Amino acid sequence: MTELALQHYLAVGAIMFAIGLIGFMTRRNLIVMFLCTELMFQGVAINLIAFARYHGNFAGQAFVIFVLVIAAAEASLALGLVVLLFRQKNTLDADAWREMRG
Amino acid sequence: MLASHPSALAVFAPLAQTGEVLAPAAILVLCVIAGVGTIMLLPSHLKPNWRKLGGALLAFAGLILLALLLRYSANLNRNVAHTVYFWIFSAIGLFGAIRVVTHRQPVYSALYFVLTVFASAGLFVLLLAEFMAAALVIIYAGAILVTYVFVIMLAVQAVTPDSTSAARHLTDYDNHSRDPFIASAIGFALMGVLLFVIFDRAEGVPKPQTSWLAAMTASKAPQVEGTTQNLGIYLFSNQQISLELAGLLLTIAMVGAIIIARRRVLRSEPASAAPAETVVFPATPVDDNPHSIPVYGTENPAQKAYPET
Repeated sequence: MTELALQHYLAVGAIMFAIGLIGFMTRRNLIVMFLCTELMFQGVAINLIAFARYHGNFAGQAFVIFVLVIAAAEASLALGLVVLLFRQKNTLDADAWREMRG
Repeated sequence: MLASHPSALAVFAPLAQTGEVLAPAAILVLCVIAGVGTIMLLPSHLKPNWRKLGGALLAFAGLILLALLLRYSANLNRNVAHTVYFWIFSAIGLFGAIRVVTHRQPVYSALYFVLTVFASAGLFVLLLAEFMAAALVIIYAGAILVTYVFVIMLAVQAVTPDSTSAARHLTDYDNHSRDPFIASAIGFALMGVLLFVIFDRAEGVPKPQTSWLAAMTASKAPQVEGTTQNLGIYLFSNQQISLELAGLLLTIAMVGAIIIARRRVLRSEPASAAPAETVVFPATPVDDNPHSIPVYGTENPAQKAYPET
């Protein structure tokens, strides 16, 4: 028996995910919005590692490796898109592209 | 190495039973307090004093949560160092996350995100995932965040001079957030439901099987030290196709990013025609005018895809 239950780590991950979600919905700067998605990735990664430790196998850690791969691919593509969008309208405001809302 | 580590062989404490740790009412109250604090703390028209009050409310909610969880974990406390490190890393990580969301300047948001990444890496080390901690620091803090900072540096926008004095050097979309009330309500409702499920409905989680650490120390197989080597063995014996697909995906993303970044945005008029002090807004490259489409090897300077200058 030790000190911390699995739930402590799960709670930290859940709170981090919710904070990232709030940031993604409220902030209007495109770069900060993508930073908030990375924050949500962090929360999920903490959850996965905690479950890997809890079950004593490596499936969770392998999942986190693939989450990191997805995050890296997403960051490179998204930041390229952000630069392209900035060069077209000269602003980083997400509301400048509100005609895409449909 | 692992056997000498006192907490290495230990398993998690048993899951708490219903209502033992956090009552649903306590979760509700905490989420409401934290939500109000977040609304005040988000960039908006509010005065700085209101933002300070919001920060104080958020810190208050965090302290209550800490006290409730500490009261629960006090009676199962056997290894003080691990617990203390957990609280320190969690506090730093969540503080950094709050500041990422609420700071007005994107550069500081990125730097606070680095802080959160380091705190998460600390949590990973506590969970015996040393390789993942190193990978997180290298990939996130080393590679992704550098890219973010470069883009922030490239995409600097001129500021309207009629901004308020508190944030004169910032743009409007950094100073005013969009629908802070609705977003905080949704976000903290999600957080409340998640915490409720985590703390009150934990019976559904299957009990852990025999730990790999116990199996490792008990087996007479060639002793492999550390979780990193074990992770490598697991990856290359169970997840080969996934690994190859991940590499392929990274290659595709790299090619796609290069193609996106190479596209040149043509300006609407030649730079020599515009007076020096007026800003030349870039035109969209995809309008209906065929002369605005970039052409390879043309002699027309306004139409060149990659001008020599």
